[in-house]
Amino acid sequence: MSTYVIRRIIYMLLTLLGASMLIFFLYALTPGDYVDNNMNMTEQRKAELREIYGFNKPLVERYTAWLGNVLEGDFGYSLQHQKPIMTLFNHYIWNSFLLAAASTFLTWFIAVVAGVLCAYKSHSIFDKSVTIFIFAAMSIPSFFIGLFFIKLFAVDAGILPPGGMITTGSNAEGWAYIIEVAEHMILPVLIVTLLGTGSLTRYFRSHMLEAMKQDYVRTARAKGLKERIVLYRHALRNAMLPAITLIGFELPTLFGGSIVIEKIFNWPGIGQLYMQSFTMRDYPLLMGFTMLIAILTVIGTFISDLLYRLADPRVRL
Amino acid sequence: MKKQVLSLFIVLLASSMLFTACTSNESKPSASSAPSAAANSNAGTANSTAQTNTSAAVSTKVTDLGTGIIQASDPSKLPESAKKRNDTFIAGLTEPSGAFTPHFHQSGYDGNVASVLFAPLVTVDENGKIVPYLADKWEISKDQLTYKFHLNKDLKFSDGSPLTAEDVAFTLTILHDKNYDGGTDIFASHIKGGLAYKEGKATSVAGIKVIDPQTIQIETDEVNATALLTLGGQVLSKAYYGKDYKFGSLEYIRELHAKPVGAGPYKLDKHLPGQELRFTANEHFFKGKPKIERFIYKTTEGDAFQFIETGEQDYAAFSATQDNLDKLQKLGFLNLKLNTSSAYGYISINHKKPYFKDKKLRQALIYGLDRKTIVEGVSQGSAQVANIPTSPTSWSYTEEGINPYHYDAEKAKTLLDEAGWKEGSDGIREKDGQKLVIRYLSSKSKGSDALIAIAKENYSAIGIQFEPEQFADFNALLAKVDGGDYDLASFSTPMLLDPHSGVSGFTTEEAKGYSNPKVDQLIKEGISTLDIEKRKEVYKKLYQELNEDPPYIFYSYSKLLYAYNSRIKGLDPNPYRGIATSLPLTSIE
Repeated sequence: MSTYVIRRIIYMLLTLLGASMLIFFLYALTPGDYVDNNMNMTEQRKAELREIYGFNKPLVERYTAWLGNVLEGDFGYSLQHQKPIMTLFNHYIWNSFLLAAASTFLTWFIAVVAGVLCAYKSHSIFDKSVTIFIFAAMSIPSFFIGLFFIKLFAVDAGILPPGGMITTGSNAEGWAYIIEVAEHMILPVLIVTLLGTGSLTRYFRSHMLEAMKQDYVRTARAKGLKERIVLYRHALRNAMLPAITLIGFELPTLFGGSIVIEKIFNWPGIGQLYMQSFTMRDYPLLMGFTMLIAILTVIGTFISDLLYRLADPRVRL
Repeated sequence: MKKQVLSLFIVLLASSMLFTACTSNESKPSASSAPSAAANSNAGTANSTAQTNTSAAVSTKVTDLGTGIIQASDPSKLPESAKKRNDTFIAGLTEPSGAFTPHFHQSGYDGNVASVLFAPLVTVDENGKIVPYLADKWEISKDQLTYKFHLNKDLKFSDGSPLTAEDVAFTLTILHDKNYDGGTDIFASHIKGGLAYKEGKATSVAGIKVIDPQTIQIETDEVNATALLTLGGQVLSKAYYGKDYKFGSLEYIRELHAKPVGAGPYKLDKHLPGQELRFTANEHFFKGKPKIERFIYKTTEGDAFQFIETGEQDYAAFSATQDNLDKLQKLGFLNLKLNTSSAYGYISINHKKPYFKDKKLRQALIYGLDRKTIVEGVSQGSAQVANIPTSPTSWSYTEEGINPYHYDAEKAKTLLDEAGWKEGSDGIREKDGQKLVIRYLSSKSKGSDALIAIAKENYSAIGIQFEPEQFADFNALLAKVDGGDYDLASFSTPMLLDPHSGVSGFTTEEAKGYSNPKVDQLIKEGISTLDIEKRKEVYKKLYQELNEDPPYIFYSYSKLLYAYNSRIKGLDPNPYRGIATSLPLTSIE
């Protein structure tokens, strides 16, 4: 087991190195750089600035310099924000995490329950109406339903805030603050959940159907176990196995932010920050963010592999 | 091994998804304007959150609006949440980047924040004319090379320390540092000894002399009409920002970006990234403490309308479409003001192509394009056709002797014939065996979609083959233009404080292929005097010449609709300074 872990970690580092190289060159070779943003600048001034920022150096030299700093734990300063990358992440990433964690939890919870029920009563009216609802919800674009809900609940009814994370100018602290943030979370979380639940429910439904056809479920039923126990302990646990792989993939989404939702609801998340930095070609910030997602993705897959081993004795080495 | 490949693939997938998301967002900014250029412009503007929505009732037409303030029709409709907020003014702003030191910020929106926190020696009124601010008055020598500013006696920074000529001298000096990477181009003012300081040959800038704490004299080598605004810019405290300054090392100043100390009407209380910036009134402000105790910039990336509608925000700028006007008027509790931007939109012509040497072809391209339909029709009145490189709000604007180039396909055909482009067998004109194919580049937006649709039709009617290409990403567009493989490309200038900025690109040196000795001469004359009446005459001649021998296809002036809650009294947003100048004078009813 331990040699396996060590081998995996070495692979992970190599993957990250390859990814960092690829991402760096991809960004560096995208036409236009940070200096180009200002059209009013003379060519001479542009050349001076490229010198100051080091954009005129060969690509490989820029990459090794960046990598060297990163290995020392220094992700550098954002060109646009004039702040260390880590400080910026710290400002935005937890807001994104809050939104993503709440909606991921709800999505999974609803999907598991609905998936199991649909499988158990497959092809019943309940199953069909859930399916119709799910597909309807999935097919509505998030910006449309987002704006529609703002109009409905915030502007016309006035029962929920129209966006942001707190009421502008609010000085709430402690419990009042938590309640305020929770109020502002309702609409965005509702929409992310609404849009995300569909595919997961279908996923669980089909795996559950599969599991219920297995011999061990028949055996369990034959033993005279209660249907609920058969369903949740025997069938569901096996149906959940492939979902472990999915959990690993959720990790980067938790921290990656959602550009569309954050924009509609004016949520101070990292998706917006990334968007800006791409249009501005803010290389240090771009690299930092994309590497963060890469690291989380690799760690996510690693964790799900380990979890898989714990859950399923058949793949244990 | 398969899993490693898989995870790598996922990383790529994740980043490509971010790319596409980015792409779809890029198309938001309105008309043919270039988003990044505007965002990077140095001067403080109000945010322009372009919006599109639908509404029914029509009351007033955008085209009928004057420049005055349209009073709210029914202030009693004011939402409760706004009524309760009697000591706070909340304005909207696109997310700034957080570097609030003037001259050092990298985004125009930081400039908006800085304009509340810092104060310049001189500023401009709503026609772009220079007026005193921290400086009571200034004198310019007969040869127009030496400037003397007399500062107000009671100037103080927000920390209570006095603001003197030393601080002005420090601000101007630090801009000459060799590692300065901000947007203020001090070298255009040609201060005596400036270059020597940059190259490390001198320990101070020779032309800057502090005469007494309230008087500073600046000597320049060359007359430049834009120098007064640059020299009279926002002032940094020497004691605060210059404490650790050594020539060539400016890194320390980054630590101070988030903790600004200035002489503006407000001081920064708290910055909640991605949410809001809170300010409190500065009791040391030289015109007296502002009446409204608290001011907030609420930072919005997307739609601001919902916040205006619910009363959570008091002020926002919208693109001046009929839909937006109807929607805003229907709310009843908003005062509205229409403003034409100081920038202009243009279609640049690639003068490196030999066939553009003939001005008849360029003129034909203008006559042959129905700009009025595209600009005024598609933008629903939120823009008007431009014919000269200055905005109707500027003191330099004129229509005297300017050919409006009304759409005229016949005239365009005649010009093309005269230029030697004859219709070929397939209906496309040709000259010396070369077909008249126009390659057009622009960013992807609603405005450029409309232009392409109409231009294609317009140009094929006069025998020109029009080949458009759109870019989702602004920097990619610029790179393509730099590559030189194009004929026309759409852009917009940033805000233009001085008319010189609107024409400086047309000199033989800068214009990349366009050369007109008369234009060169007039551009030079335009900044070689500080007398505004003389400059008016020069610019009139210059605009007439540029109108006759067009370096660009001048395209549009965009219009903004400023909307603010009627309980805010005394606010008068202007196209050059946004709300910054009138902010200290406002009060809440």
